[in-house]
Amino acid sequence: MSDLDRQIEQLKRCEPLKESEVKALCLKAMEILVEESNVQRVDAPVTICGDIHGQFYDMKELFRVGGDCPKTNYLFLGDFVDRGFYSVETFLLLLALKVRYPDRITLIRGNHESRQITQVYGFYDECLRKYGSANVWRYCTDVFDYLSLSALIENKIFSVHGGLSPAISTLDQIRTIDRKQEVPHDGAMCDLLWSDPEDIVEGWGLSPRGAGFLFGGSVVSSFNHANNIDYICRAHQLVMEGYKWMFNNQIVTVWSAPNYCYRCGNVAAILELDENLEKQFRVFDAAPQESRGTPAKKPAPDYFL
Amino acid sequence: MSTSKPTRGAGDSRSNRAAVQATNDDASASKLSCVKKGYMKDDYVHLFVRKPVRRSPIINRGYFARWAAFRKLLYEFLDCGGGTESNFSKKQVLSLGAGFDTTYFQLKDEGKAPFLYVELDFKEVTSKKTAIIENHSQLRDKVGNISSISQEKGEVLAEHYKLLPVDLREIERLNEVVALADMDPSLPTFIIAECVLIYLDPDSSRAIVHWASETFSAAIFFLYEQILPDDPFGQQMVKNLESRGCGLLGINATPTLSAKEKLFTEQGWQRASAWDMLRVYSSFIDPQERRRIERLELFDEFEEWYMMQEHYCVACAINDSQGLFRGFGFPNDRSQKEHSQESSS
Repeated sequence: MSDLDRQIEQLKRCEPLKESEVKALCLKAMEILVEESNVQRVDAPVTICGDIHGQFYDMKELFRVGGDCPKTNYLFLGDFVDRGFYSVETFLLLLALKVRYPDRITLIRGNHESRQITQVYGFYDECLRKYGSANVWRYCTDVFDYLSLSALIENKIFSVHGGLSPAISTLDQIRTIDRKQEVPHDGAMCDLLWSDPEDIVEGWGLSPRGAGFLFGGSVVSSFNHANNIDYICRAHQLVMEGYKWMFNNQIVTVWSAPNYCYRCGNVAAILELDENLEKQFRVFDAAPQESRGTPAKKPAPDYFL
Repeated sequence: MSTSKPTRGAGDSRSNRAAVQATNDDASASKLSCVKKGYMKDDYVHLFVRKPVRRSPIINRGYFARWAAFRKLLYEFLDCGGGTESNFSKKQVLSLGAGFDTTYFQLKDEGKAPFLYVELDFKEVTSKKTAIIENHSQLRDKVGNISSISQEKGEVLAEHYKLLPVDLREIERLNEVVALADMDPSLPTFIIAECVLIYLDPDSSRAIVHWASETFSAAIFFLYEQILPDDPFGQQMVKNLESRGCGLLGINATPTLSAKEKLFTEQGWQRASAWDMLRVYSSFIDPQERRRIERLELFDEFEEWYMMQEHYCVACAINDSQGLFRGFGFPNDRSQKEHSQESSS
């Protein structure tokens, strides 16, 4: 058994790697990711997954529902880290699978794959807690800079974490972005990771998130038409039913963190596309308590008390 | 009216006394987290927190919303009919399940303290609070002339401030405590219950609300607590809090805004109005303050924020025997209901 296979087995048990192993894994991952396009080509069949947010045991549930990698070909739309309790194990498992099976799993960047956001929403603190220093956080956030920004499935389905940008009308414009940097506060790269579709907006609107834009149905129609794609698949927003179509099936949100933050009570979904791009959503619940390892790991989400 | 129950301690497997009391430590830690980030000022809460924690922005913002709504209504009460600490407009505050709340000490600093401020809680809590007050001169000095202070009894008796132990479910004890605190039932009174009644069985909550209405004829009752237990978020909330041992025993009896209003109007209050915290945040809190705090932290939790705020509410009930509170509370409230006219006749 190779070191990498052993590391994958270890991570599947939710046991973190040694700091030196993380460093080596991150370097290897960067070598692979640097070759990928900003609009990474993906072949069908493929299973598309939305936000995970460090909910490791729920991601294991996802693999139980969707099948193991490499047997199933996966596309993850970002937001692997923050909020949940196991961002380290979650991201490293996905990264180890990427290094082991580069053609069977595609990871693109979410707005939480950022130095600034992870210092507010948990990943930084978790690295400090688990390793006693910020080194692992530094290795991982360096990898974030190399993650692709979007994917194109069989030239027909455009996949991105957040949404569209007023600075972007063609896929070629995305291809010219120099992505190897921290997520900027504005501009095309920021918008792809931060924007949201919004029913009440005609054209473009301001986002309450303070980054990215809100975009309406006409924006989606013209983008899909100009780029000859069937629909956009994105993540980024919690939807209680796991997935949600908007604008006459021109854009779909897929959300893969069940009972988000151990508090929201939502179900999760993944989108399976077969070789003919036929769609099947698989909806799943949070992993049962007894599969979450030791009893001490019971999450206690915050409320106003 | 005596509906109190001999259920000291764990009368219900979903709820235990120690866990409910622990919600007080949790709330204090959250308030300190807000203070450290600049959401609000509180020079005293740090004295009550042993292990400071950093809460996520959604928790900070939610505590701010609750604090801002509470403050706005409390100031409106303190300011109505003239100044404070003067004889011609004596007012009093009664805080039920006050925990480690520091409002009194802040009001003293602001020169806004009422004639009398009374805090009630379980003895385990008041004993700890008494000890902290006794051990910190900045608190002790604010309390002023202390006639009696006892950690053992969990009791502070000062001229304008009283801290007393009681199990709120023992209704007949409430009258004794109010007498011991020298409260004057005829004075305008602001009653506070933040995340308190919801932990009690519905009979006890109704009895307390009824007792408050019978006792104070010129009064505001400020209630902040959870609603909507039946949708997926609400079901998860009920489950999570139950698994911490602090089940929301009262939530099914008052699951909606109109049920919260009815809780008051059916127990003798003249009128009541309940808004969910989403509406409180967008339409009641000072917009300038809102803009200020929205710049304090990166905030990327909108879907969750909307859901969480929809599951908390403020209810404001009013007894206005002296005509002090016309137009008090939430503005232009289309849904404000005058249940008393329909139900009490």
